[in-house]
Amino acid sequence: MLLLHFLALFALPLCLAAVPKDAQSIQEELVKLARANNGVIKLDDRTYDMLTSPKRTWSAAVQLTALDPRRRCAPCKDFDPSFKEVGRAWSGVAAEQRDSHFFATLDFDHAMTVFQKLGIQSAPIVHVYPAADGPRKPANGRTAPSTYDFSFGFEAGPLAEQLSHHTPVPIPYKAPFNWSRWGGIAASGVILIAALRFVGPILQWKWTWALGTVLTSLVMTSGYMFTRIRGAPWTGGNGQWIAPGYQNQFGQETQVVAMIYGLLASAFLMLTVVTPYTSSPSRQKAQVYLWSIVIFIMYSVLLSLFRVKNKGYPFKLLL
Amino acid sequence: MTATTAYQVPANLSPTTVANTSSLLRIVALALISGAAIASRLFAVINFESIIHEFDPWFNYRATKVLASEGFYAFWNWFDPTAWYPLGRVVGGTIYPGLMATSGVIYSALRAVHLPVDIRNICVLLAPGFSALTAWATYMFTKEMKDESAGLLAAAFIGIVPGYISRSVAGSYDNEAIAIFLLMFTFFAWIKAMKTGSAFFGTIAALFYFYMVAAWGGYAFITNMIPLHALALILMGRYSSRLYVGYSSWYAVGTLASMQVPFVGFQPVRTSEHMAALGVFGLLQIIAFAELVRSHVSSKQFQTLLFASVIGLGLLGTAAIVGLTYKGWIAPWTGRFYSLWDTGYAKKYIPIIASVSEHQPTAWPSFFMDLQFLIFLFPAGVILCFKQLRDEHVFVIIYAIVASYFAGVMVRLMLTLTPVVCVTAAIAFSTLLDTYLNPEEPEAIDEAPKPEASTSAVAPDTSSAPTKKQKKAAPPPAGSTLAELVTKAPGTSKRKTGVFGLDTRLLVVANAIGMLVFFVWHCTWVTSNAYSSPSVVLASSNPDGSQHIIDDFREAYYWLRQNTAEDAVVMSWWDYGYQIAGMADRPTLVDNNTWNNTHIATVGKAMSSSEEVAYPILRKHDVDYVLVIFGGLIGYSGDDINKFLWMVRIAQGVWPDEIQEPNYFTRTGEYRVDDQAPQTMKDSLMYKMSYYRFAELFGGNQPTDRVRGQQVPKTGPTLDYLDEAFTSENWIVRIYQVKKEDPLGRDLKTANAFEQGKKRKRTKPSPRRKAIA
Amino acid sequence: MWARWIVPALLGLVSFVTAKSSSGNSVLVILEPKLDKDNFSKFFSGLEEKGYELTFRAPKDTKPAILEYDYAQFSHVIMFAPETKSFSSDITPQSLVSLLSKNTNLLIALSPKQTPVYTLASEFSLTLPPPGTPLISHFPQRDDPATVIPVPVRPVTPNVVSSKLAPVWFSGIPFAYQNNPLLVPILNAPAESFASDGETDSGADAVVDAADKGGEGLWAGSQMGLVAGFQPVGGARATWVGGVEMFSDEFFQKELPGGGKPGNEQFAADVAAWTFQESLVLRIDSVEHHRVNETVPGQVYTTNDQLVFSAYLSKYNPVSSAWEPFSGIQDMQLEFTMLDPHIRTALPPVRGTPGKYSVTFRAPDRHGVFKFIIDYKRKGLTHLHSSTVVPLVPPRHDGYPRFLSAAWPYYVGAISTSVGFLLFSALWLAGDDRAGSAKGKTTKTE
Repeated sequence: MLLLHFLALFALPLCLAAVPKDAQSIQEELVKLARANNGVIKLDDRTYDMLTSPKRTWSAAVQLTALDPRRRCAPCKDFDPSFKEVGRAWSGVAAEQRDSHFFATLDFDHAMTVFQKLGIQSAPIVHVYPAADGPRKPANGRTAPSTYDFSFGFEAGPLAEQLSHHTPVPIPYKAPFNWSRWGGIAASGVILIAALRFVGPILQWKWTWALGTVLTSLVMTSGYMFTRIRGAPWTGGNGQWIAPGYQNQFGQETQVVAMIYGLLASAFLMLTVVTPYTSSPSRQKAQVYLWSIVIFIMYSVLLSLFRVKNKGYPFKLLL
Repeated sequence: MTATTAYQVPANLSPTTVANTSSLLRIVALALISGAAIASRLFAVINFESIIHEFDPWFNYRATKVLASEGFYAFWNWFDPTAWYPLGRVVGGTIYPGLMATSGVIYSALRAVHLPVDIRNICVLLAPGFSALTAWATYMFTKEMKDESAGLLAAAFIGIVPGYISRSVAGSYDNEAIAIFLLMFTFFAWIKAMKTGSAFFGTIAALFYFYMVAAWGGYAFITNMIPLHALALILMGRYSSRLYVGYSSWYAVGTLASMQVPFVGFQPVRTSEHMAALGVFGLLQIIAFAELVRSHVSSKQFQTLLFASVIGLGLLGTAAIVGLTYKGWIAPWTGRFYSLWDTGYAKKYIPIIASVSEHQPTAWPSFFMDLQFLIFLFPAGVILCFKQLRDEHVFVIIYAIVASYFAGVMVRLMLTLTPVVCVTAAIAFSTLLDTYLNPEEPEAIDEAPKPEASTSAVAPDTSSAPTKKQKKAAPPPAGSTLAELVTKAPGTSKRKTGVFGLDTRLLVVANAIGMLVFFVWHCTWVTSNAYSSPSVVLASSNPDGSQHIIDDFREAYYWLRQNTAEDAVVMSWWDYGYQIAGMADRPTLVDNNTWNNTHIATVGKAMSSSEEVAYPILRKHDVDYVLVIFGGLIGYSGDDINKFLWMVRIAQGVWPDEIQEPNYFTRTGEYRVDDQAPQTMKDSLMYKMSYYRFAELFGGNQPTDRVRGQQVPKTGPTLDYLDEAFTSENWIVRIYQVKKEDPLGRDLKTANAFEQGKKRKRTKPSPRRKAIA
Repeated sequence: MWARWIVPALLGLVSFVTAKSSSGNSVLVILEPKLDKDNFSKFFSGLEEKGYELTFRAPKDTKPAILEYDYAQFSHVIMFAPETKSFSSDITPQSLVSLLSKNTNLLIALSPKQTPVYTLASEFSLTLPPPGTPLISHFPQRDDPATVIPVPVRPVTPNVVSSKLAPVWFSGIPFAYQNNPLLVPILNAPAESFASDGETDSGADAVVDAADKGGEGLWAGSQMGLVAGFQPVGGARATWVGGVEMFSDEFFQKELPGGGKPGNEQFAADVAAWTFQESLVLRIDSVEHHRVNETVPGQVYTTNDQLVFSAYLSKYNPVSSAWEPFSGIQDMQLEFTMLDPHIRTALPPVRGTPGKYSVTFRAPDRHGVFKFIIDYKRKGLTHLHSSTVVPLVPPRHDGYPRFLSAAWPYYVGAISTSVGFLLFSALWLAGDDRAGSAKGKTTKTE
C-alpha cells in the first residue's frame, strides 16, 4: 500500500501540471481567435465547449443570437452591433487582463446543438461565464453562467457598464461622439441668432407665447407624458384606438382628448370674448346658440369617452 | 335711442347698501363654501369610521402622539429605536415637523380651554379643517387676479374638486393636508408683495414659506416658482422697485427661516434645487444697483458699459454656480427631482422611487376624474390671463405650464396642478358670467351717444349726479351701480360691447349653471366612491349589494400587538412598516421612510432567496415574525406577489451576482406563479409564505390564484425554517414565526425531517478514517 | 423597557436546592430486563447516596411515562436499554430529544445491536459503525476476550472526569465524531483498537476485506469516541456511552491486566455527575449597565458615552448543593453589537467582589439599537449567553458644544453686518438735508 502512496505522490504533480497546460493551450487558441475578428470570437459547437470548459481560468461573455435573415430576429440585429462595439473596446486593454476575459458570439445556425443543450428558444441572450478555476474564480464559488438583463436596453453603454462587473478591469467603452447631433444643434443655434432680427417681433408678440402655453398645457393634461414614459403605442392592434382600462391610454387618445379640450375651451372664449363684440343682434344670437350647442355636444362626447375608460361612471349627457 | 337693460335691476339702492350687502353675501358664501369643503371630506368617517388612513399618516399620527404626550423637545430629539431595527431612526432630524406641530398646537389649545379632545380626532379632522382655509386662501389669491366673484368661484371649486379631496379626506393625515393651504397663501402674499412692493407682505410670504418648508418636502416648488416669476418679469422688462423689495424681503427672511428646520439645514445654500432662488436674488441686486447708478449718471457710453457689465456679472454668477456644482460644493439635483426631468432615470437607478405607485405618470382619465370640467376651462382661463397681461397673470401662466408638466409626469403632483386649474377656471367662468349677467345692452351699431358710454363707465359716486338729471328714460344710476358691481368684465368701459336680448343670457347662464350642478354631482360621486376608502379597511359589496367590510389588516396587527413579545421584531416589505409600528406597536426592519436602500435591499434579498439563504439574514436581524400580504384568495391585487419584482430589483441593485431578475421569469419571459413558475421563484421565501397550505383550502380541487388568475400547484410549498403563526380571515395578511436554532445543532431541514420521523440515511464517517490499503 | 434576557433555562430551577444536582433529583432508569439490576447495584446505590430518587422501569411497560401532557416527569433519564428493539409508545427518538429541550438530562448506553437508540445517535452528530462490529483490541496482552478492553483515561475535555484515573474497562462499540461544537468527547478509544466483527475474531486480512466492503474504511485509532457528552442549546446535557457494561459491578472490580483496580467506579460517578448537571454548571445571575459615575441603568445611552457593564456569575457547588459566586473565568468577552460587533473587549473578573465581572468602555460614535452580548461557550462548561438591548442615540439638540472656535468667520460676519446696519441707519436718520435729498433720490430708484 505504501507503493500506492508513492504512486499517488507521483501522480499529484503530474496532474497538477496537466490541468493548466491544456487550459493554457485552449486560452492561447481563444486569444488567437479573438484577435482574428476584432475582439469577438465566432463560436461553433467545438469552440463553445472550449470556451466554457469547466477548467476555464478565464471569464467569458457569450452572445447567443440568430443573425441569419431566415430567422427574422430583428432584436438580434439591433443588439449585435452594440455587442461588437463592446468587444472591440475590450480588445483595447492590456494583454494580461484582456486574455482573461473573452467576448464571443454563438449563432443559432452554427451551433444548434448548443442551443438545444441550453434549451433556449429566444434570442438574443448574453450569458456571462465566470472563471471556474484559477485566481479569478468568484469568491462565492458560483460558476454557473449569469444572464445579462435586457431591461437595461440594447445600447452598448449600459451593456459595457453591466459586463464590467465580471471583467478583471472595467471595459473602456466610450460612446462614439455624435457629430450629426451636435452639429445640428450648433447650426440651429447659429440660424436662430441670425434670424433673431426677423423672429424677434414674433417672440415679443404675446399671443405666440399664449399659443405655446395653451398647447403645452393641453398636451400635458391629455396624458402625453404617460404615452412618452410608458412608450404606449399609437393605437392598439385590430384598429382599436381607445386603450382598455382606467390607468392606460394610447397615443391617439392624447390627440383626440386634447382636441376636445381645445374645442371646448375655444368655444368658451368665443362666448366670453368675441361674441359681445358682434354688434348685430341676430348674428350675435346665432353665435351664442351655436357655441352653446357646440359646448353641450362636445361635453357629452367627452363624457361618453370617459365612460368607456371608466366603467361604472354613472353620469351622462346626450350620449 | 337710449341704452336699455335686458332686465330690471332694483332701483332705489344706495351704493353703501349695495357694498355692505355684497360683502355680507361674500362672507356668507365663503362660510357655506367652507362648510361644503369640510362636509364633503367626511364621507370617509361616515362610510367607515374615524380612523387614520393609508401608510404615511400612521407615522405622522404616531409622531403626533409622541409630541402631544412628551412635549416638543422630546419630540425634537426623538430617536425611534423600533424603526429600521437595528439601525433606529433619528426622527427629529428626518421629518418635516410642521404637521405634527400644527395638530400639537391645536391639541394644547383645546386643552387650555378645557376641551379634552382625543388627539386622534384632531389628526383625522385636520385635513378637512385646513381645506376650508385653502378655499379662503384661494379666494384671496384669485381676488388679486380678477375680482371677488372670481375668487368666490375659485374657492368653491377648490373646496370640492376631487384632485384636492383625494389627499385631504378626513383621516388622510399627511403633509399635503396643510401644505396646499400654505402654498396658496404664500403665493397670495407673494403676489401682494410684488404688486404693492411692501416689505410687510414680503415678510408674510417668507413666514408662510417657512411654515411650508417645515410642513412639506414640496416646498421646493415655491422655492423655484417665485424666482421663475421674478426672472420672467425681469426678462419682460418689467423690473420695478416693487419687485425688488418684495423679492428681496421674501428671499432673505424666508431662506434664513427655512434653514432653521433641521431636516433642511444648509440645503438652501448647498443644493441645486435652491440655486435658482439664490441666482435671481443676486441678479436683482445687480439690476437694482444698475438702476440706481443709471438714475444718477447720465453719460450715454457709461450706461451702455453699465448694461454690458450687468450682463457680464449675471453670466459670471451663473458660471460660478455651475462651477461650484461641478466642484461638488453644491450638491446636484437629488434623484427625486432629477427623475422629473429625465423620466427614465428613476427606473434605472433608483428603483425604490420608481416602485412607488404614486410616482407613476398620469393618464388622461385621471385628469378628468380629478378636475372634470375645470380641465377644459383651464386653457380658456390662461388665454384670458394673457389678454390683460398684468404681472400677477404672468405668475399664473408660469404656474400653469410648470404644474401641468409635473402633473403629467407624476400622479401625486396632480395636487400642485389643482389650485392653478381652479383659479384659471374660475377666471374664465366668472368672466363668462360677468358678460352674460351684465344687464347693460349695447345699442344699435351706427349711433353711439357719448353720455351712455360715460354713465356705464363712471363709478357710482357723487360725480354721476349731473348726468342723472340729463336723462329720464335712462336707468337710474343706482341701478348702474349694481350693474357696475356685477360687471367687471374688461373692455366694458371702452367701446360699448355686450349681449343683446334675454334669451341668449338665459341660455348661456342656464348652460353654465347646469355645468356647475353637474360638477357638484361628479365631485360628490367621486369623493364618496373613489377617494374615501382608508386602505386600512377594505370594502367590498355582497351579491345583494350591501357593503361588506374586509378588516384583515387590523385583525392581523392587533393579533401581533396582543400575542407577541413587546420587542418581537417584525419583518415585512416596507409598505407596511408604518402601519405595523402604528397599529401593532412592534419594531420593524424597514418602513415607508425609505432612507436606507441597503437595508431595504436586505429585506428584498431575504424575501426573494431560498429559506436556507434567508434564515441567516433573519437571525442576524433578530427577526421573530415575518409578515406578508397575500391577495390570492379574495383577489386583493395590491399584494406582495405583485410587488415581488420590485423586491427582486432592489435586491439585485445591491447583490447583482446573487439575485438576478431574469431567474424569476419563465423561459418565455412571463411572470407566473403556477406550475411553469421557475424554480428560483418557487424556492423564494415570498412565494412559499404566500402559497403555504393554500392548496388545502380547495380540498383537492385545482387551487386558483384570484389575482394572477393562474392555477397554482396542487401540492403547495413546504417550510422548514418558519412556522405559520397567524393568517387573517381572508388570508390577506399572513404572519410567520422564525424558528430558533435546533437544540442539537442540526440544520432545521434535517431537524424537521427527524420530527416527522423520516429515516435519514446513515452518515458515513469523515474521510479522516479512510482505508490506507 | 428594552432589556431582553436570554439566560440559560436553569435559572428557573433554583428551587431544587435539596438535590445534589442543580436541576432536580428525580431519576428514571429505563433498564431492559436482560441486564439484571443487581449487576449495577454499585452505580445506582452510589447515585442514591448522593440523594437522587431512582425510579426503575422496563422499556416495555408504560408507567411511569417520561412525558405527561408534554411535561417532563423526571429531571434525569438513564437509558440502559442498549439491545431493546421496541419500546413502549412514549419512548421514541423524538420524545427523547424533546426531553432535552425541557432541560432533562440523558445518559444513554449503546450496544452493537441495531435499535432505535442506535439510530438516534446520528441525530447527536455521532456516527456509529455498522451493526455488530464492537470495539476490538489485542493490546495489552490479556486473557479476556478481545472485546473487553482496558482503556487508559486521557483527559480529552478538561475537568469532566477526575484526572489521573486508572484505565477503565470497556466493552461496546466506538463512534466517530462529526464536527459539531456541541459534542464533548469524554473518553476516546485506545490507538491500537479497531471496530470489527467481534464474534469471529479472524485474522487481519478478514478485517481489511470487511473494511473495504463497508466502503468506509477501517474503524480504528484514538480518534474514535467511547463516551461522549453532548450539550444541547438550553443547558440540558446528554451522554452517550459505547457499552453499558462499564457501569456494571463486574467491571467495577475487574482486575486490570497490569494489576490494580480499574477506574470504572470513579469514572462512572464523574460521568453521571457531569451528565446530571452537578459539575461544571455555571449561570449568569444578573447583568447591569450604566454610565460611568452613575448607578441606575440608563434607558438610552448617547454616542461616545463611557459605559460600565458588569455581569454576576455563580457556579453550582454539588457539595453544599448551592450556587456560589464564581470568579474563575479569565477569558470571557463582551460584545457591543449592532449587526456586527462594534466593540469586542475582555470582561475580566473584578478583584475583591467574587462573581462580578466588569468592564468600562466608550460607546461607539454610531447611533442605533445595540446589544451587550456575553457568549461564553467552552466544552464541558455550561454555555453562558446573555444579551441586553439598549438604544444608542445621538446627542440632544442642546447636547452639542454651543460656541465653536471654528465658527469665528460666521460670528464676525453676523456681528459686523448688524453693527454696520446700525451705523448706516443712524447716519441715515441723523443725516442733514443733502443726505435727505440723496435719500429722496435713492428711494425713488428703489
